[in-house]
Amino acid sequence: MTVKEKPVPQTNPWSEPFWKAAREEKLIIQKCDDCGYNIFYPRLICPSCFSRNIDWIETSGRGTVYTFTVVENNAPSAFLEDMPFVVAIIRLDEGVQMLSNIVDCDPEEVFCEMPVKVTFKKLNEEFTLPVFKPQ
Amino acid sequence: MSLKGKAAIIGIGEVPSGKYPDRACIVSAVESAFMAIKDSGIKPENLDMIIPTGTVYNAQYNSEMLTGRMVEELGLTGSVKSNVQVFSGGSSSSTMLKIAAGLIETGSAEFILCLHSEKLATGISSSQQGIDLFSTAGVSNEWEVPFGQHYSGVAALATQRYKYETGTTDEQLAAVCVSNRKWAELNPNAMFRKPMTIEEVLSSKMLSRPVRAKQSNMLADGGSAFVVTSAENAKKYTDKPVYLLGSGSRVTHFVYSQEPDLTRFGYAEAAKDAFDEAGLGPLDIDVMEIYDSYPIYQLIGFEQTGFCKRGEAGQLFLEGKTWPGSKYPVTTNGGMLSQGHTGAGGGVAMLVEGIRQLMGKADQRQVEGARFAACTSTGGTYFDSFVTILGTEIPN
Repeated sequence: MTVKEKPVPQTNPWSEPFWKAAREEKLIIQKCDDCGYNIFYPRLICPSCFSRNIDWIETSGRGTVYTFTVVENNAPSAFLEDMPFVVAIIRLDEGVQMLSNIVDCDPEEVFCEMPVKVTFKKLNEEFTLPVFKPQ
Repeated sequence: MSLKGKAAIIGIGEVPSGKYPDRACIVSAVESAFMAIKDSGIKPENLDMIIPTGTVYNAQYNSEMLTGRMVEELGLTGSVKSNVQVFSGGSSSSTMLKIAAGLIETGSAEFILCLHSEKLATGISSSQQGIDLFSTAGVSNEWEVPFGQHYSGVAALATQRYKYETGTTDEQLAAVCVSNRKWAELNPNAMFRKPMTIEEVLSSKMLSRPVRAKQSNMLADGGSAFVVTSAENAKKYTDKPVYLLGSGSRVTHFVYSQEPDLTRFGYAEAAKDAFDEAGLGPLDIDVMEIYDSYPIYQLIGFEQTGFCKRGEAGQLFLEGKTWPGSKYPVTTNGGMLSQGHTGAGGGVAMLVEGIRQLMGKADQRQVEGARFAACTSTGGTYFDSFVTILGTEIPN
């Protein structure tokens, strides 16, 4: 069976700084200059106060596992070779949530509220994904 | 302004769900529409509007439906003035009904046919294609697809957190499948009708932990339809119109991982709006058609709509209190776990089932004397929470 190529992020122009930073192994998110709200994923307009004065900040890269799953069967084609793998929603210390993978540990050891920190997985020259490992 | 009691459903139609390679999708649509029109007692030319919801198995078919194919198929080019697609994934049932009722109340339309048809079992090439289709449909291709997100994983993320917060067990989650199957055993239109046990569910293949194969819906071919008109018109055609009494909804995310509470979603707020509009409460409800697709969403929908306290739904299912003949008749067509997942049609079938119960046409699974029904629905990766209250009378 031919292995399907991994889907790369279909990016938007205003999220380019995020992906550029990820290539440099930095996890950045947006911050509203007017109301101070931390924003992920990148937006054109602050979802808290409708301001367009949005800047970028580097995060601590630390957070906790809000929830997770170990994918053992019936993954999308491009991910069949990775099974079992962990998909998780991470709550960063900065208060935002993001979907990612948990790596560098036995899937059996992952639990809700587990402290994690960011690490990076290079997909190709253009894209590096922020993923997480135990703190 | 409230839509309470302003519009009523007077006819329903549905073809069996399952694998029907020789049944073209348009056949499911036409047969469902034919049954609904006959059931309503109206003349076909009374229809002045058709609302086909979305079909995802084939873009060409979908484009035909949204550009008026059904108007021609039913011979209604002389009477139907508009054909408009209303589509919000699994909650299309509720959005179609709400929009139809609003148009009827303002006089923009008089008799509306809402319908759905889908061919997700035999219209796509393989089950892997189905998985791949639903790893991108409604999933952010920038923020989730690259991490291997897909629908059983999506359900697993909510299930894991819900178990963590409420202590609900795998056995209780499996009991949802068993309960739905009990109802499906009595439903000739259901895809799966063989009795099912908790052991069978818990020994099936693990997909995305803790969700197992038999806790996953199965993609199906199917079709269903209903006819909506004003409450005033309805009385001319039937002595048992099913009134729309209340509806409430919330949109709580687009990207699944942005959902602030995967163990609640927006059902509590939606239910409050729906019950307030209807002038009813959970205790008044005789039939609960709670959207499943996976057991977790049925538990959350059931308890957040107010039928039990948070975290207690699993035990009610385990004790069989949701089975035929029990205190809480829940998801009485068997849900997508047993009747089959026909895309947006999973929700339409559930709404049609709620109507059917109130019309007294549910045969072996009829809930005796049912007067009020609550139907929930949700679309995409559970982006919205919809609660619709229906009744055979209009309470004060």
